[in-house]
Amino acid sequence: MFETINIAKGVNVHVNETTQFKTINFSIKFKDKLTNEKASARSILANVLQHSNEVYPSHTALRMVLDDLYGTSLYIDSSKRGNEHVVTLNVETVNDQYLSEKGVLEKVLNLMYIVLFKPNFEHELFKESIFLREKNAIVQRIESVFDEKTRYAQQRMMELALPNHPASITSNGTIKDVENVTNEQLVAEYKEMVTENEIEIYAVGDVAPEMIASHIREFFHFKDREGSIAVPPLELVKPEQSHVLEYEDMKQGKLHMAFFTPITFRDEKFPVMQLMNGVFGGYAHSKLFVNIREKESMAYYVSSSFASQFGLMFVLAGIDSKLEEKAVTLILEQLEEVKKGNISDIELGQTKALLINQLKEALDSARGQIEIYDQYMELTDKFEPEFMINRWKNVTKEDIAAVAQQLSLEMTYFLSGKGDEKDA
Amino acid sequence: MHKVEFEQLEETLFHEKLGNGLNVYILPKKGFSKTFATFTTKYGSIDNHFVPQGETEAIKVPDGIAHFLEHKMFEKEEGDVFQEFSKQGASANAFTSFTRTAYLFSATDEIDKNVKTLLDFVQTPYFTEKTVEKEKGIIAQEITMYDDQPDWRLYFGIIENLYENHPVKIDIAGTVESIQNITAEHLYTCYNTFYHPSNMVLFIVGNVDPEQMMELVKEDQAQKTFEEPTEIKRIYPDEPKEVAIKERVLEMSVQKPKVFYGIKPEKVDMIGTDMFKHELAAQLAYELLFGRTSDFYHHAYENDWIDESYSFDYSLENGFGYALIGSDTHKPEILIKEIKQTLQKAVEKWPFGQEDLDRVRRKKIGFFLRALNSPEYIANQFTHYAFNEMNLFDVVPVLEGLEVADLQNAFALVSHESQHSVFTIMPTKKDA
Repeated sequence: MFETINIAKGVNVHVNETTQFKTINFSIKFKDKLTNEKASARSILANVLQHSNEVYPSHTALRMVLDDLYGTSLYIDSSKRGNEHVVTLNVETVNDQYLSEKGVLEKVLNLMYIVLFKPNFEHELFKESIFLREKNAIVQRIESVFDEKTRYAQQRMMELALPNHPASITSNGTIKDVENVTNEQLVAEYKEMVTENEIEIYAVGDVAPEMIASHIREFFHFKDREGSIAVPPLELVKPEQSHVLEYEDMKQGKLHMAFFTPITFRDEKFPVMQLMNGVFGGYAHSKLFVNIREKESMAYYVSSSFASQFGLMFVLAGIDSKLEEKAVTLILEQLEEVKKGNISDIELGQTKALLINQLKEALDSARGQIEIYDQYMELTDKFEPEFMINRWKNVTKEDIAAVAQQLSLEMTYFLSGKGDEKDA
Repeated sequence: MHKVEFEQLEETLFHEKLGNGLNVYILPKKGFSKTFATFTTKYGSIDNHFVPQGETEAIKVPDGIAHFLEHKMFEKEEGDVFQEFSKQGASANAFTSFTRTAYLFSATDEIDKNVKTLLDFVQTPYFTEKTVEKEKGIIAQEITMYDDQPDWRLYFGIIENLYENHPVKIDIAGTVESIQNITAEHLYTCYNTFYHPSNMVLFIVGNVDPEQMMELVKEDQAQKTFEEPTEIKRIYPDEPKEVAIKERVLEMSVQKPKVFYGIKPEKVDMIGTDMFKHELAAQLAYELLFGRTSDFYHHAYENDWIDESYSFDYSLENGFGYALIGSDTHKPEILIKEIKQTLQKAVEKWPFGQEDLDRVRRKKIGFFLRALNSPEYIANQFTHYAFNEMNLFDVVPVLEGLEVADLQNAFALVSHESQHSVFTIMPTKKDA
């Protein structure tokens, strides 16, 4: 899929030359370890760099150039994966073979260089007004999670279950940490990011790997770097409380359950756990969907998900607030079924078919190819879909039952409507 | 089978209208693993007043019925269709909008079987009083979930403000109360009226051989019997030009206020090329006035009147439409005033020329080319355009034909103050 060219120590270019897409996609990923402080600073940094630079000092000026380049999309996001924090510059531009104008690609690469390496400095600091504005934007972004009650409930549960653990640190950090970041710290963080971080550069489109690598060498001049040393995964510690009930002014109750599993992305049982999650609550044919939604008519959504980086499995359901106990009982009953190996051949076959379909489908988007390849790089040098498909194929019901038996319920969190407070 | 080549886009679209009236479109995509198919009926939440097939008197049906019907289509005497798709490695879904109900699947394997399953399940209604009753609990939870989503409430809040009589103001899923009145008989009436092949479009995009696929669909349809197609008589109330409610506030559990400024277009009876041209011209006009490169945006962002949630949109259907501008904001009054002034200034003196038009046009063409990578986008947008007698693949030529005056004219249809309205969500006041 991707051809890798090393252009400096700790800096790799991965290119997938393909005519599948009418556009060319780039991602430049800067990887560092994850802490609340770093996540906070680097989220501000992502916004500041995206907002302006030396050549295009205003947001408007930068956006106008992008519009002129056939609406090239350019954004910088901050995300996390396990113990890592990743700042990514994402660019998608039209392939100029569909246009009458040529030379668009060079212009776009030059713009990417400007965005990353020509910041809008004043007296060796980021322009103060922009620094303050973008700091404020991140605070508002963190606050806005509260408005979406499903996301908010999940975040509350994580804070309560695993305080200060990478699993509960968000990619934007905390309001307090964002507010504490100074302009000086941000400049230091910026310098560290561009000179010391490990960098993975991706390109997907009708472009030759050597051509992209030589453009990158020419435009970016990346120097050697050590990169961050891989931090071993942190142990999960038992939450202080196993059941938490909170209230908000809302109508639907939000049930969130957290289970620990010793199996993570790096474990050889990882594919088994993916299947277990699929059979249990990952799909519309799963035990949770069929029994809680279709048979009991209790919920519109009820599903499970596997956070493979940390060894966590979650169950989420939106239910009437009065039915918490009943829902928990029914969910655990379904888990018991999986533990006992009460899985039909059909259920097993459906889950395998859908996992395969999902993977292949994800690879039909350039962004999907980049994210999957970047993640699996840790496990295999040359990722192809068969790498996972073969592992899933051999999994049996007994294997699934065995990993299900290793799950332990650590916390049940229920966010309930305010109107129900009196009855509770 | 008709074959239309779009040379510059390097796409070939295959089309055939079958004997039973069904329009089938196939767009092969080289290099893709997946195939995405949508089977869509021109029947949405606004079609609540109509003459049932084979009858002469118009009836009104309970709110939320098109959406309810969508849910019930998946259940058959022998079980759930999701199970069938899962076995064949496909993920299936459906959605109901104001004007359409779409059933879809995407799969990388067993495409023929999945297409058959899609056609069969949508063309085999099965409703009983018992299964209808059972669904009420699930849909009630869906409605409750949306009730707690401030962005959804904001969107519907502004549409309720804009429209006095038109059913677009009714929530697509109805209410917990309105769905209680739905019966299996209602569902059959709606199904028989709106799910005739002549009122539907099948769009298949992805890794398929067009000839072979068209044969498969034709054969399938030839084996099934349908009534003769009759014209569907839909009844919509008269709608005044002015907005129904100028201003309204709702309290919810949010951390900062949310605002939508809404505009009701003056002319909503366009169809085909006129509609296409108008919609694109209005979208470009709004891009210039409220997009990321506008003076308005720059000013509002720097002053912290808007944040990352800021959005604007112009959308048109036959019979209704709306322009919306909004954001989470600590300063709702100032933001509303600024939007009003921006519109007012553009009414007094149109501020944009050829260079501005060229820039936003390039942006829009680039967006369209990017979107062609997405089978989902193609299938959904294509159907939206097809139901309004337009062709998605004409976007670029229509855009290229637009002039500054077209933008100005499109804007003139949405500029009068009596067509403007504001909806705000405020954080719930905390009890002392």
